[in-house]
Amino acid sequence: MKNTLRNVFHSPRFLVGFIIFMIILLTVLIYPWFVHRDPLQGLGKGFLEPGTYLSVYDANDTDTYRVELPEAAANRLEASLPTEDRQMMIDYLKAMGVDVSGLDTSNEKMEDLLVAWNANYDEADAKKNKYEGFATQAKRNALRRLDNKIKSSNSNVTMSVVKGEGDDATVKTVNGNDFVKVDEVANSVNLPLGTDNFGRDTLTELVEATGISLLIGLIAGSIATLLGLLVGLLAGYVGGVLDDILMFIANIFTVIPGFVLLILIYSALGAESRGIVTCAVIIGITSWVWTARSVRSQVISLRNRDHVNLSKLSGHSLFRIVTTDILPYIASYVVMAFILQVSSGILAEAQLSMLGLGPNPNELPTLGLMMNWAKLFGAYTSSNAWWAYFPVIMVIALISFSLNLMNTGLDQVFNPTLRD
Amino acid sequence: MKKLLSLVLALALVLSMVAIAGAEEAKDLPREETLYFGGQQWDPIVGYNPLGDNMNNGLILSAAPRGTRTVMFETLYMYNALDGKLYPLLADGDYVWNDDLTELTLKIKPAAKWSDGTPVTADDVVATWDISTKIQNGTYTGYSPYIESIENKDGDVLIKAKLNDEGKPANPLQVLDFLTGVYIVQKEWAEALCAKHNDDATAIRTDPTPDAVYSGPYGPYFANDQLVAFVRNDNYWGQDASMWGKLPAPKYMAHTIYKDNDATLVAFQAGQIDVDQQFIANVQKLWEEQGLPVATYIDEAPYGICVTMPTAWYNMDIPVMQVKELRKAIAMAVDYDNIIENAMTNQSPSFADVPRSVMNPTDGEQALFDHDAVKDLQWVGKDVEGAKKLLDEAGIVDNDGDGWREYNGEKISLKACCPDGWTDWQAAMNMVAEAGKAIGVEIIATFPTWDQYQTVFTKGSQTEYEIFMWSPPGAEPAAPWARVRALMSSEFVGVDNNWSGNFGHYKNDRIDEIIKQIPLTTDEAELKALYTEATKIYLEEVPSFSLMYRPEVFHAVNETVWTGYPEKDDGNNIPPMDCTDGYGIAALYNLELVK
Repeated sequence: MKNTLRNVFHSPRFLVGFIIFMIILLTVLIYPWFVHRDPLQGLGKGFLEPGTYLSVYDANDTDTYRVELPEAAANRLEASLPTEDRQMMIDYLKAMGVDVSGLDTSNEKMEDLLVAWNANYDEADAKKNKYEGFATQAKRNALRRLDNKIKSSNSNVTMSVVKGEGDDATVKTVNGNDFVKVDEVANSVNLPLGTDNFGRDTLTELVEATGISLLIGLIAGSIATLLGLLVGLLAGYVGGVLDDILMFIANIFTVIPGFVLLILIYSALGAESRGIVTCAVIIGITSWVWTARSVRSQVISLRNRDHVNLSKLSGHSLFRIVTTDILPYIASYVVMAFILQVSSGILAEAQLSMLGLGPNPNELPTLGLMMNWAKLFGAYTSSNAWWAYFPVIMVIALISFSLNLMNTGLDQVFNPTLRD
Repeated sequence: MKKLLSLVLALALVLSMVAIAGAEEAKDLPREETLYFGGQQWDPIVGYNPLGDNMNNGLILSAAPRGTRTVMFETLYMYNALDGKLYPLLADGDYVWNDDLTELTLKIKPAAKWSDGTPVTADDVVATWDISTKIQNGTYTGYSPYIESIENKDGDVLIKAKLNDEGKPANPLQVLDFLTGVYIVQKEWAEALCAKHNDDATAIRTDPTPDAVYSGPYGPYFANDQLVAFVRNDNYWGQDASMWGKLPAPKYMAHTIYKDNDATLVAFQAGQIDVDQQFIANVQKLWEEQGLPVATYIDEAPYGICVTMPTAWYNMDIPVMQVKELRKAIAMAVDYDNIIENAMTNQSPSFADVPRSVMNPTDGEQALFDHDAVKDLQWVGKDVEGAKKLLDEAGIVDNDGDGWREYNGEKISLKACCPDGWTDWQAAMNMVAEAGKAIGVEIIATFPTWDQYQTVFTKGSQTEYEIFMWSPPGAEPAAPWARVRALMSSEFVGVDNNWSGNFGHYKNDRIDEIIKQIPLTTDEAELKALYTEATKIYLEEVPSFSLMYRPEVFHAVNETVWTGYPEKDDGNNIPPMDCTDGYGIAALYNLELVK
């Protein structure tokens, strides 16, 4: 046993797969110790980009420190008017027939550009004249948004924050070189993976969902393996009429595409009754067939070995023969099959949830459900929110990659024909 | 030999598939002359028959009072959702009611012609009604409770309203719906169609009639499994000065048949669709982040004209829902801003902007009731403390300490449902369930399939679901009366297969009287008083509550090829109705090529 384990862990493939899998598993177990947040609680409003969010309200109440940053003014200008916006301003002035020979997008010429813009841009005029290249509604809207931005971002004035109303109001003046220390701001939230369409913290949700998907995979894999093992052992060892009956059932399951069967069962169940365990059990009982068939064929080849016959002659019971004389010989295969079943169970859940047939979405997140909602709210079309689906895809891929690596690693160790 | 045979077989298979798919050969559609639509046609078309049903021809056959699509067949008037007025199309000038509102007279435009060159006459309108009556199609079932007969009176059209027991017209507002909601067909063509089928109603209604005589600007071009296209009739009568004065800009109109919303959106982003009718989550990101030449009617939230209110209905067939305080408490606790921001991605005004009533957010409807009189009754939402207090005072409290309130000693557990796959509604129902949790009332959001859902909420009586979602009528000539009726009229209580309204089976004698009175009231002050009272009752009794405001049709345009679409404050008064619905079709005459 010790030797086998050492062999297994000497297989680089198995080791890599095992490490990846353990990292995922440990993250799922440890993460909730550090972040106590309900994974289904809506924090933001819709998709928020990944990043750290500071409360503006609290930042105004925090002590300010004077920091003279030489590039502050340039940064501010670049942030409020990026180069492409400046280029658009020049293009528009040109289309209007204004002389733009002295203008460019550099910071130095910014002042001139703004003067020229403010002197010439007029929303009604843009609408009426439909200058070439700016005739469409979309372009004119872009110009108007740009103009609003210019008007609201005049950076040469001090900013005042007024708190309260009437005589009780206190006024605070904010200067360009006032800074706050980030960790002194009372409220800030770090969202490494942003939020999803419901405004939920994607990372917390992802960790929770990974745990649940692993659980579904584990339950589904266990059921499928146990069922397949039982059927395979009985059919293979007992043989005869029992074999015929069991293989008849298995053949029926083989010819009906498993996924179609899953879809039918799931939609017949209805969303309310699709709990995690129910989902896992259904995946399990529709995917035992291949395990059963391979176990059966191996058992048939073992059935007439000498040691089995000896056991039979010694009058050992069926149970004892199967557990002591047959099972150990196919154990390595069963372990490998189990790993693959877990992997395919997770994938089956993800696929079904992606189709909107997953577990009840109100109670718990799963990887597939996260993908489904991301799809429904246009995360990869209109909403442009890669963080809502890409990390999920990565986790699914990593889980099944690590499990498959472990499987091939084991294969290398146990399968004599593949041994180096 | 075997290889060759299999190759030949495979080739034959592929060829036969191609042959089936391309039943009608595609014709040339130059991009610069074609206006492409999205989100209006799913699955191949069945036919072009304006008298029939289930033709599944979205681009030309979509009759609804809010804006009938008059691309191929035309109505008498066009409804404008922006100002609520009727604009003459086949009709000439305004219609005239007699004093009792029992007879409506209108003239037909002398310029109006059929595609075969013959003039449109009052006889055609009469024949449209008579033949609809004969074959009992949708026009007949929809309007026969309100219209007695249509006659040709000296070349004008005379519509006689059906009278009720008291000798008053059954409903003059629904007669107006007829003017904007029914396609007029040519008498000769319709009679020939009847003769062809020996007056067999079913055969007439299901005939695809690809050779139908029409009066609109576009006629059939070709249709197959992938695409349906229409071509401009360059002899269209509407170029007469009495109508549009010119032809619509695009020579062709086409709609590719996409698999689903996602596929449509991808095509729209790529500029393969010009006008798109679908809910696009975070539509502003298309231009803000992706820099696409995409625009909506309004450049900022809510981006469109919201005319309807998806509503959560309480099921009065279940005793616990009879408790007014419980109904109001749930409605008060719901976080509507959250629904609007997350489920609708801000494509709806908030209930702080447009306080709740029985009216939609358009100026026309908002002017119809006294805002101050109902001010104290309107709630903005997320008022958990207020809701808790209301329940405590009503004696609905948690006695056994399990965190959930009881009614008559039993834990209150409500099921809230909407169809599976209706994304924004599902998100809204989730938030109603969250509101329940906050006030100690268990609400479980469930999403039955559409098939199951539609049989449940239209039943005359059901005790399966306590809360469910549907929208009352949006903008149409009979609105907002039609909405008041749909929200509260007891005429729908106990009616099976009820798609019309009051799905929660609420009963109130006073509101029934108001619903009867409004259509017969012409005095504006009196009308306002009635609408104010109806709003009061609705807000006090809470038989249902609106969750958000929503456009009836979505309208987003990609200006890669065409520009000149309607935009807010452009002075044209053209509603953003996909350049085809009701008065929205006027947009087609303003389109220009970008280059």
